[in-house]
Amino acid sequence: MEFLLYYLPFIVEGFITTLMMTFIGLAGGFILGILSALGDVYGGKTLKAIINVYVEFFRGSPLIIQLLFFYFTVPAVTGFKWDAFTAGAITLMLNSGAYQKGYFKGAIEAVFKDQLIAAKSLGMTFRQTLLHVILPQVFRIVIPAWTNEYVSLGLSTSALIVIGVRELTNVSKTIAAQTFKPLEVYLIAGLIYFAWIYISLKVIDYIYDKVKIPGLEVSLT
Amino acid sequence: MGIEDSILACRDLWKRYRDLEVLRGIDFEIKKGEIKVIIGPSGSGKSTFLRLLGLLEEPTKGKIYFEGRDVYAENLDLNKIRAKIGFVFQEPSLFRHLTALGNVMLGLRYVLGMKEEEARKRAMETLRLVHLEEWADHYPAQLSGGQQQRVGIARALAMNPDIILFDEPTASLDIELTWEVIDVMKELAEKGITMLVVTHEIAFAKEVADEILFMDKGKILESGPPEQLLKNPKTPRAREFLSRLLGGE
Repeated sequence: MEFLLYYLPFIVEGFITTLMMTFIGLAGGFILGILSALGDVYGGKTLKAIINVYVEFFRGSPLIIQLLFFYFTVPAVTGFKWDAFTAGAITLMLNSGAYQKGYFKGAIEAVFKDQLIAAKSLGMTFRQTLLHVILPQVFRIVIPAWTNEYVSLGLSTSALIVIGVRELTNVSKTIAAQTFKPLEVYLIAGLIYFAWIYISLKVIDYIYDKVKIPGLEVSLT
Repeated sequence: MGIEDSILACRDLWKRYRDLEVLRGIDFEIKKGEIKVIIGPSGSGKSTFLRLLGLLEEPTKGKIYFEGRDVYAENLDLNKIRAKIGFVFQEPSLFRHLTALGNVMLGLRYVLGMKEEEARKRAMETLRLVHLEEWADHYPAQLSGGQQQRVGIARALAMNPDIILFDEPTASLDIELTWEVIDVMKELAEKGITMLVVTHEIAFAKEVADEILFMDKGKILESGPPEQLLKNPKTPRAREFLSRLLGGE
């Protein structure tokens, strides 16, 4: 296992890229997801139609095709060039946003209408109702479903290999080719993915337990 | 009595949902300190009438006056008026992510703009009025139906409204829990709080109401003091309804 010490910095670097891509995708997807969900629930017909086209495109096509499209096709058509990291990050944000929109929409609809009318009867504006009644419940309700997205997106970052982003899978492939030790290298890579997701899920479970409110457990899955 | 000296009034109020005419030209007014009770069969438009008066829905036609001012014609800030009209719903409709205290504090903080400590103090005082101070830190799911409804009353009451509208607040409760809520409402009546109550609790109406209104098919068919309307209803429809209601008690 001596080769491991030599290649460890590359593996760590690849893993850091994987983490960065996951968090960028999740964070961007979070903003896109919540905005799309609000638009879909409270917006007009045109806005709803635009949101639906966006969601259908990203949920209805493979992530690899989306990555190739944003890295090769978009620059070819628009003349606007970007590196693999940027193209990958944007694709993951858009992809995750489409999935997160579904989770947030379900959570928004799980906040019963009677509470919105109660807020109205107190004289609260829609903005106040959104900030103090709808979203605090939505963020709690959505955690279990959102956990799935975290796992799914985290593992999907390995698809970034097709556009050459130096994330964990890509780095592992290079090391395996250079050392002729695919068994060891892919086993280590697999263990890193497993440990990362396992620990993350434990942390999310802990957080969920802390913010859980009696009577507000709603399954969206 | 006219619109000028009323807290809440309406003239020729109509509400239509598609082809269904739910309210058909209602005139009504209530003065400060009065308690009026609305009775009537299911589907007579009582709840719709209350929602319109609470400015939770707009009428198809007609005018609503708050403190003598036409709320829709004068371009008034409806949220400010809503804050002065307390509303207690048939279902408690509590905010599920907030404790009893949090439910009562929410409007105080964000609508009346109170500071946290001030809002907390007022909310605790109001919870004490509905005998729930010991349950302040409990979430709605940890409270009984009667307790939830009393939190709903406290939430409306804490805003110090000019009037509170009650839409069958005991309809979803069993007899024991019903009395929990009715007792609190009687205490509010003794404090001189202006109330408009939709209920089938005739004993409550007899005891506290200044006037009972009988609604049927979207109209107020008759109204009068409890002893008159309950004992000698003028219209055959009210007689029939009351004989069934009182006969079933």
